Amino acid sequence: MKAIISDELKLRLRYQARAVGIVGALAMIASIFLTWAYGHEALDDMAYPGAPSPLQLFFGLLALLVLALLAIPLVGKPKLGRWARIVAWNTTAKTAALAALGMAVVAVAGIAIELGGLINVDPGGWVALAGGLVSVASTLFLPDSPEPSLERVKSPKWLQISVIGVAMALVLFGAAFALGLSDAGSFLTFAAFLVGLVMVLRQFGAFDWLSIAGANNNRVLVLSAFAVAFVFPFTQDGSDANMSIAAQVLIFAATALGLNIVVGLVGLLDLGYIAFLGAGAFTAAVLSESAFSRIDFHPPFIVTVLISGTVASVLGLLIGAPTLRVSGDYLAIVTLAFGEIFRITMNNLDGSDGPNITNGSAGIPGIPDLDLFGFNFGDPHIILGIDIGRFANYYWLMLLVMGLIIVVFTNLNHSRIGRGWVAIREDELAAEAMGVNTFALKLLAFSGGAFLAGVAGAVKAHHDVSVTPEQYVFLESAFLLAAVVLGGMGTVAGVLIGATILKLLPEKLRFFSDYRLLMFGLLMVFMMRFRPEGIVADERRQLEFHAEDEELADEVEEELITHHAHLNPDRKAFEL
Amino acid sequence: MDLFFQQLINGLSLGSLYALIAVGYTVVYGIVQLINFAHGEIFMIGAFGSFATWTVMGSPTDWPATGSLLILLPVMILGGMAASISVALLTERFAYRPLRNAPRLAPLISAIGVSVFLQEFVRLFYGRIPGLPDAKSSIPFPAINGITGEIIQIGGVTIQMSAVFTVGALAVSTAFLWFFVNRTRTGRAMIATSQDPDTARLMGINVDRVIMAAFAVGAALAAIAGVAHGLTNGNIGFRMGFLAGLKAFTAAVLGGIGNINGAVVGGLVLGVAEAMATSFIPGQLGSSAWKDVWAFVLLILVLVFRPQGLLGAKVVDRA
Repeated sequence: MKAIISDELKLRLRYQARAVGIVGALAMIASIFLTWAYGHEALDDMAYPGAPSPLQLFFGLLALLVLALLAIPLVGKPKLGRWARIVAWNTTAKTAALAALGMAVVAVAGIAIELGGLINVDPGGWVALAGGLVSVASTLFLPDSPEPSLERVKSPKWLQISVIGVAMALVLFGAAFALGLSDAGSFLTFAAFLVGLVMVLRQFGAFDWLSIAGANNNRVLVLSAFAVAFVFPFTQDGSDANMSIAAQVLIFAATALGLNIVVGLVGLLDLGYIAFLGAGAFTAAVLSESAFSRIDFHPPFIVTVLISGTVASVLGLLIGAPTLRVSGDYLAIVTLAFGEIFRITMNNLDGSDGPNITNGSAGIPGIPDLDLFGFNFGDPHIILGIDIGRFANYYWLMLLVMGLIIVVFTNLNHSRIGRGWVAIREDELAAEAMGVNTFALKLLAFSGGAFLAGVAGAVKAHHDVSVTPEQYVFLESAFLLAAVVLGGMGTVAGVLIGATILKLLPEKLRFFSDYRLLMFGLLMVFMMRFRPEGIVADERRQLEFHAEDEELADEVEEELITHHAHLNPDRKAFEL
Repeated sequence: MDLFFQQLINGLSLGSLYALIAVGYTVVYGIVQLINFAHGEIFMIGAFGSFATWTVMGSPTDWPATGSLLILLPVMILGGMAASISVALLTERFAYRPLRNAPRLAPLISAIGVSVFLQEFVRLFYGRIPGLPDAKSSIPFPAINGITGEIIQIGGVTIQMSAVFTVGALAVSTAFLWFFVNRTRTGRAMIATSQDPDTARLMGINVDRVIMAAFAVGAALAAIAGVAHGLTNGNIGFRMGFLAGLKAFTAAVLGGIGNINGAVVGGLVLGVAEAMATSFIPGQLGSSAWKDVWAFVLLILVLVFRPQGLLGAKVVDRA
């Protein structure tokens, strides 16, 4: 963009551009009071003049942002004071305009597809689109603002805590709203809004500020995140469909977190990770009270879950001990081969090709619901007048497991063990020379990650009711890897986001299901090409992927300094 | 004893197929240290390309044996090669080349993406090309008079003509490959680049072109393997590349990755071992349901006890 319009031209046209941009923003705000669609069936019914639908209101919010960002600087630099430097007004306005335009495009396309043709798009839709185009075009003529410095603003603790609380509440509301959207068009439009909003907030510097606020109030952040996740089932009013998705997301995410230790921290590429989930699931299924279980030993679930985890981690040791000496690429293929061996073996333990343990390809159906301390997970119950279904019970159980995993993960990450892992990832020879016991640490990562997957598998067996070998094919391993890569290797938040995206999108975009894998393949290629560090980037890893980028190195260094300045306010400077 | 020779023949035929694919892994790995995870899909595309060529020729089924063998089959192979080489070069250009200096995980993950993408692309869009059948389930591969259904009987041993074709194709390809690598400028440039890419560049070798040549050579042999697979199994499907690719990679590692002769030897050994395992391992573990397991166990054993492979890897570990 910078190359197209010269700085000189930008400086000369800045007042005109701002005026035109404001007109565009006003047009967008006006558009939400018009009808966007001819029919009521499109999106979330945008056919009432003067009564905006929720999605239209969200669009209005983006338009208001554009308006505010363009209009507020009109009061002049002196009145803005230091806020002139804290916020990147022009650049943020450009991002907001782009976000609004993007949302309008998705909405108009959604209306056209759902009602059959652009003819069904009412004037409101066109006004929104035109307003978006105008404001994007005009903001291109605004001079670039310097980087925002919101994160340097000193803020009181109560403000930080309350912002974290509000942000968490918004996340809860957004998640509940998104899951409530049943039709694909509305879901995509809302997704466009969310992506746009995140981009704007990032440009605004809100995430830098939040990450510092979060680091200062770590406990508040973690507890409120769990509180929000815990409250989530109450927003669903007994709807099993969404809670089932949510429980699946958590099982998937827990497994991905285990893989994250192996791939993200230690840098060992494991392409057969799903086998550990499968090992846990099959163990739990065989030890369950299912009529198809072939083993006459049915311990309570607490014992089963430990056995499942242990079986998985023993498998991890068995595969890891001999193979961890081979280098990266080879390890990937060995683990892939191991995953296939696991699947074929489960298929063959059917009585004709081996002892009958797993019923072969038919698997073990009819696994009963969990029974913990006399509480049956299959029973729906009512809390505070809200129905809580079967899947919500599993969701809460997985949340508990997840919490344990995250505690273990973060503590390990910041311990001697975690630093050893990262050292191995960066340079194994150097790590060994510095006295890191590389073999033991790698083995620990392998079996520890496998244990987590085994635990998740044990819950999955009961959640899914049946376990078959075909649930544990290579593609599932690739999905797990994709969740880790997409979200950001080595980070907890990233993996959670990646797992949510990969599980949620296919459920919500069913019309798209035939193209799901095609898009998945493309996504992997594009991620590696354009953002190999993932959505939430681990700073060190980001540097690794952009080794020649000096600017980024400086930026990371500077961030470290400001971060430390906030953590230790009495020390003025922090020497790297 | 007949059983032994029968399984030896079966194993050699299967092994030739693995060897043809394995060359592609080994050549590429020798030069760019990349496990081209999508190479199994290149093999699959070769098979589908030759099928498309056959359809373009009017789906002939009644050609006499000589015409089939001298014209129809070669043209089908060339068509398959054209398809596989162009896809291989495209993936190299767009999925691997931009990542050449990235950490080693990146191209491998990208390759997994390419692999999934190519499978799905064939599944979804092959049937949309006018005249071609839907590829969502297996497609019967055309019968070639003179090969399909023909057998040679020696004592108690039955040899399928398709097995003769596969072994013969491997022999001819290996001879060509030897000539290409050792006697042509491009081939010698490939050796030089695999030994030291930076010095090779200083000597005026166009490294990009050499890498493209490596992908193209691998894809050409994979296309031959695709046709051989079609003739042997009688049908082709979009999923056929995954397992075959994995086995072929096993073969490449078995022989010593980066070593072309090793890939051929590794393929043959793996094929024979697999065939023998189904006949000579006693009890339930000897049933054919376990044969893939034995191949992978062999892979793990080789990597643990002899990571340089049977003939020795020809890769300098620069990691």
